[in-house]
Amino acid sequence: MARVRLSGLHKHYGALHAVRGIDLDIPEGEFTVIVGPSGCGKSTLLRTVAGLEEADEGAIEIDGEVVNDLAPRDRNIAMVFQNYALYPYMTVFENIAFGLRARKFPKPEINKRVQEAAELLDITEQLVRYPRQLSGGQRQRVAIGRAIVRDARLFLFDEPLSNLDAQLREEMRAEIKRLHQDLGKTMIYVTHDQVEAMTLADRIVLLRDGLIEQQGAPLDLFERPETRFVAGFLGSPTMNFVPATLEASDGGLAVRFAEGTTLPLPPTRAQAVRSRAGSAVTLGVRAEHMSRANDAGTREGLAPLNVTIDLVQPTGSRTYATFNLADTAVSAELQAHDVRGPGEKMALLVDMNRIVLLDPETDRVL
Amino acid sequence: MSVAVASGGGFGRWADRRFKYLLILPAVLILLLVGVFPFINILIVSFQDISLIFEDRSFHGLLNYKRLFTEARLWQAILHTVIFTLVALPLELVFGLLMALLFLEPIRGRQVFLALLIIPTVISPIVAGATWRLMFDNQFGPINQILGWAAGEPVPIIWIVQKGFVWPAILIAEIWQWTPFMFLLLLAALSNVDKSQVEAAQIDGASNLRIFFRIVLPAIKPVLAIVLLIRALDLFRLFDVVWALTQGGPGTRTETLSTYAYVQGFQQFETSYTSAIAFVVVVLLSIVVVLALRRVEIAR
Repeated sequence: MARVRLSGLHKHYGALHAVRGIDLDIPEGEFTVIVGPSGCGKSTLLRTVAGLEEADEGAIEIDGEVVNDLAPRDRNIAMVFQNYALYPYMTVFENIAFGLRARKFPKPEINKRVQEAAELLDITEQLVRYPRQLSGGQRQRVAIGRAIVRDARLFLFDEPLSNLDAQLREEMRAEIKRLHQDLGKTMIYVTHDQVEAMTLADRIVLLRDGLIEQQGAPLDLFERPETRFVAGFLGSPTMNFVPATLEASDGGLAVRFAEGTTLPLPPTRAQAVRSRAGSAVTLGVRAEHMSRANDAGTREGLAPLNVTIDLVQPTGSRTYATFNLADTAVSAELQAHDVRGPGEKMALLVDMNRIVLLDPETDRVL
Repeated sequence: MSVAVASGGGFGRWADRRFKYLLILPAVLILLLVGVFPFINILIVSFQDISLIFEDRSFHGLLNYKRLFTEARLWQAILHTVIFTLVALPLELVFGLLMALLFLEPIRGRQVFLALLIIPTVISPIVAGATWRLMFDNQFGPINQILGWAAGEPVPIIWIVQKGFVWPAILIAEIWQWTPFMFLLLLAALSNVDKSQVEAAQIDGASNLRIFFRIVLPAIKPVLAIVLLIRALDLFRLFDVVWALTQGGPGTRTETLSTYAYVQGFQQFETSYTSAIAFVVVVLLSIVVVLALRRVEIAR
């Protein structure tokens, strides 16, 4: 187990400033997911921790020891690569045993450990095979087996599931999470997939252009994003952003759209943005926080909105209905049978307790 | 036949299926013309008795082949060739591999160095040999001059004559010319080794030596085998450099199989005898090539 601390980390590739000053403290045993769009520097960050890339500036500490000048082999870490990086000319057994042999473990110990890892990952049958004879999922298991067999103090995952098909990805995701629960090791996991990030992480570190945009527990980030980027990156479908103005009405505040529609803010939300009354804002609302108005009446904080649906996308359990609001296509997630087809006029309820209001200038949440 | 009829064949279908053979026909014909025909002609001539003086086209059985076994000069030439191959090939391999490993790292001016390094292989071998003859010249050659500076007194080595120096001189020229070839192909193979495998091995705790022998070497093995095969065959036919430097001399001290065959065929005009040599060499090398290729196949 290991505690990892990065401070003031910078990395350049020629003219490209890939990592631009990262400070990060990862406690022992935590599952940290570094997530961000491609090119945000997340893989570079991971490779720097692994020692495969040299940091230009800043310190990498593992268990209080600065490891900047240590070779990867001396950092006592394990890493799972995106393309698995299995050794093609060795059997699965030899692949998993490679690190142990390199570290001169006694033979019986090697056999025991490889067997244990194989059983844990359900690849005992495959031990005598070569990587090319395995399916994608099995290869991934071997790669994980190679990582866990050495009992390293820190596990690094570099987009390990991105080469798998959707179903297998879900399976392996669950297995990696179980692995973390069983082993209790510190793990750093890099992905561009926000679903993977949400489901796996104890803590998400959202990276953008080489800087940390926001970090915290998955639900924290999801429910309390600090910027438009975070709000838009997490969640599927992407959060709707609609230009509006904030105006005073009946002693409270309301969000007013260009066509004149208004959505009143509940008093609890209004408090925080009172000083903004009269200025332009961006309303951020998730598809699942809108529902079809029914006869049961409204509860506190639900604001009615009359719309004309122009696109319907059923997914089976839910249906996505798209409509136009202030010249912006907005998508609402409705019950499967709530909507009949395009052209339908309906009343929606917007959960105003769950919306975010952003400053359109800075794209920061108000 | 019944299958073709049942599937409603006719000539069109037949032609369709045979079309591929039609496409390779020209290549096969050319191959027959330049490969098989001379080979058969050599075989025929080797059973006759043709030389500068006689042209006896009757069948003489194994006359020329018997002579192969009794000619000490031939066996000396074969021995020279084999030993030279066994010495030069590993040296070229080691130098080529080390250079290729060096060039894997990003270094300033890589392209320029690459271009310079490839020059020896691009030069015609006979020109290279002539150049080295100048280099090794005992009076005006830069090599003796440099050695002289190092020794502090004039060095009177006559490279292409003196025992103990003449083979090394050939060896140096040959290695100089062909190591870049080895280097270039190995560099290409090494660049293709999956970098993440090497990184995984580093993290696994393997030493650089272990990574090289367990990860990198197996990955470049097919290319390595082919390069070694090509160079071994080239070395076995070693001619140009030797001819340019020593013409097999002094005496027959540096005679190789190829220079010997050349002398027999084109200076002594022992046409039938030379054909017998050529035929035996072709058969022997073919066996080596087939065996080697089969090994490469297994490795893959």
